[in-house]
Amino acid sequence: MSYNVNFGWTSTIGDVVLGATKADGGTRRCSYRIGGGTTLPFLEPEGSPAPLIALEICDYLPFWSPIVTNYCGDLVNSVSEWAKAADNKYGADLIRLYLTSTRQRNFSNIASLGKTVEDVLSASSLPLIIEGSNEPKIDSEVYQKCGEVGEGERLLLGTAEAAKYRSIAAAALAYNHSIIAQSPIDINLAKQLNILLKEISVPRDHIVIDPYTGALGYGFEYSYSAMERIRFSALKGDTDLAMPMICSSIDTLTIKEVREAAPSVQNDMAIQWEFYTNFAAAAAGAEILCVRHPGTIPLLRQAFADMKKEKNPAEVG
Amino acid sequence: MALKALDIYKLLPKKNCKECGDPTCLTFAMKLAGGKADVDLCPYLSDEAKSVLGASTRPPIRLVKIGVGIRSFKVGEEFVLYRHEKTFYHPPGIIFRVLDTMTEAEIVAVTERVRDETFTRVGADLRFNGIAIENVSGSAETFAKAVATVEKVEAHLPPVLISKDPAALKAALVHCGMYRPLLHAATAVNFKEMCALAKHHGCPLVIRSDTLEGLVQLAKDCNAEGISDLVMDLAPGSLGDFIRRSTGIRQLAISRAVPDLGYPVYLNAAENDLQDAALVLGIVKYASVIVTDPLAPGATKASLTLRQNIYTDPQKPIQMNPGLYRVGSPDMDAPVLMTVNFSLTFFTLQGYLESTRIPCFMLIVDTEGLSVLTAVAAGKLNETVVRDAIKKFDVETEVTHRKLIIPGYASPLSGRIEDATGWKVLVGPRDAAEIGEFLHEEWKK
Repeated sequence: MSYNVNFGWTSTIGDVVLGATKADGGTRRCSYRIGGGTTLPFLEPEGSPAPLIALEICDYLPFWSPIVTNYCGDLVNSVSEWAKAADNKYGADLIRLYLTSTRQRNFSNIASLGKTVEDVLSASSLPLIIEGSNEPKIDSEVYQKCGEVGEGERLLLGTAEAAKYRSIAAAALAYNHSIIAQSPIDINLAKQLNILLKEISVPRDHIVIDPYTGALGYGFEYSYSAMERIRFSALKGDTDLAMPMICSSIDTLTIKEVREAAPSVQNDMAIQWEFYTNFAAAAAGAEILCVRHPGTIPLLRQAFADMKKEKNPAEVG
Repeated sequence: MALKALDIYKLLPKKNCKECGDPTCLTFAMKLAGGKADVDLCPYLSDEAKSVLGASTRPPIRLVKIGVGIRSFKVGEEFVLYRHEKTFYHPPGIIFRVLDTMTEAEIVAVTERVRDETFTRVGADLRFNGIAIENVSGSAETFAKAVATVEKVEAHLPPVLISKDPAALKAALVHCGMYRPLLHAATAVNFKEMCALAKHHGCPLVIRSDTLEGLVQLAKDCNAEGISDLVMDLAPGSLGDFIRRSTGIRQLAISRAVPDLGYPVYLNAAENDLQDAALVLGIVKYASVIVTDPLAPGATKASLTLRQNIYTDPQKPIQMNPGLYRVGSPDMDAPVLMTVNFSLTFFTLQGYLESTRIPCFMLIVDTEGLSVLTAVAAGKLNETVVRDAIKKFDVETEVTHRKLIIPGYASPLSGRIEDATGWKVLVGPRDAAEIGEFLHEEWKK
């Protein structure tokens, strides 16, 4: 650009590495280094890396959208098959495994979770995000088990919140994983949680910020602005916010517009709703985009390719 | 750079003549500094002072009106790079494109769709904004006929006329010249003829160039021809081109570094194979007029919703009127669910309640538009507010039972609400998505 556009940035986004290859003591076929941004998303003078696309899968179907299970067919009955498909058939960069089985009443079969994580790690060699339990009574054991089984793989563990971060942090620290730090659409709370994590020695380069993504039409604008503000503050020098961000709009497939769409257009509605949300979030600064409908992946992939003058996600190792 | 009120005051005549409508030159200066007055209102300014002030006091991005009548819309007059700094004021017009090679029936169908289609959400009617007719036939006559077909529908939609050929535009303007169509596009080659047409019909004009220098030059050239209602087509070859140029232009315009870039941006999303992606980028990254081929149902709702989200004023929480709302036709035994008057909370809960098919009441209390979590933390949701709402909205005459379901995040208040109201409190789920299961399991007991 011949005109000098100066935003006055003084700092950069920190890096986080996801996944470990053999050389780094893991078994993943690739690993990703995200972060490193020096300006607004997609405006890097040397080309901006494409955000990573994570396909979300789960180990207990009753809590999952029937739109996805109907679309994917029988393979969703086996978490291994689902993970394989995420990799080979649907072309995700990452798999995000939701241990939804832990959300059943009085769940206690921790050993089964270890087996599930092992199965997914052997079914696909993509880097893995694991979303654990949501129940204080079992959190500690669940994260301990996931951390242990995934040792060396440089997992991304979710999700830490202000009221719930110690057990995840403990597992991350013990087995060298990174964690997702979620705050309810508020830059100050995001910063506060990162400071709490810093105080218990979680390194900055092991944290991914989740500002919480409201579904499009159901609070997305707040999330969009929270992301822009976090990116802005980070570039202006606030190191407690200078981590990459993840966008996970978990309600997208259950909102009225998608849930009640006519059967003939329901897949299209689900895909477009995920696509519009995630692509807009990428423009606001999200570097990991989570989708549940496999049909959304190629749309995002093509859009990032058209962002021209860009590289693939910088691979390390 | 923007001038401060005092700097502006120094350039004014200091006569306090009131002819501008303001009581003193100083108050006029303050208005100018805020972009709320026009320099031309002062009859005593020297030309030199005018040129200094004109560039620095008008809104950094010019307000341009497209079309006439009830469906006309205004774009531009934006001040910020981020919506959270203030707000984005003028949502982009999303314009459906027809080609002049399409059949009459096809053109009529698209026009009628834009005229009639409405998507209502969060209490607002969302619509597409106009019809663009593109001259791909190469014939002025065919183009004029297509434009006439659109106008015959009498939809009164703002038109956008797309042709490289001034003769074709001239022929088309015979049919719609009085409706202030947006003309696309003036280039270095044809700007004189285009300006003449724009001037003759009083139309806004798109200037098109793939460099910022080219746009600046065209803006200057068109200004010199007497046309200042301009819109800029950045002619992006890719999505990356668009976001880089559009963001750069926005920053240069609002900082007044390059006042000649202070015009709204036009984007033809249909020029990109990835039309939806272009539409998303246009909406979030500063396009003001977006042309697209007619959209399928998913993209229709998603694009209108994204535009509504991004152009919502972040300074105002969206509020519902407090009250007792009915879902279905509840009887005297129906459950009563209390929540806050943040509209997203309301609409989210309402959506889930509707799908449970259990008729019920929603008791919406006034938390000044705060969400449950924030309202509890800030003390805006408390037992007094709930007690007063039960009284004010006569809930005790609507139901015979005395059981109130409160949001999961309000559970710390349950005891105090019971004491203040005499009602039994049931703590519902934190997540509205689980309300169906909750009602089936807990309420039925």
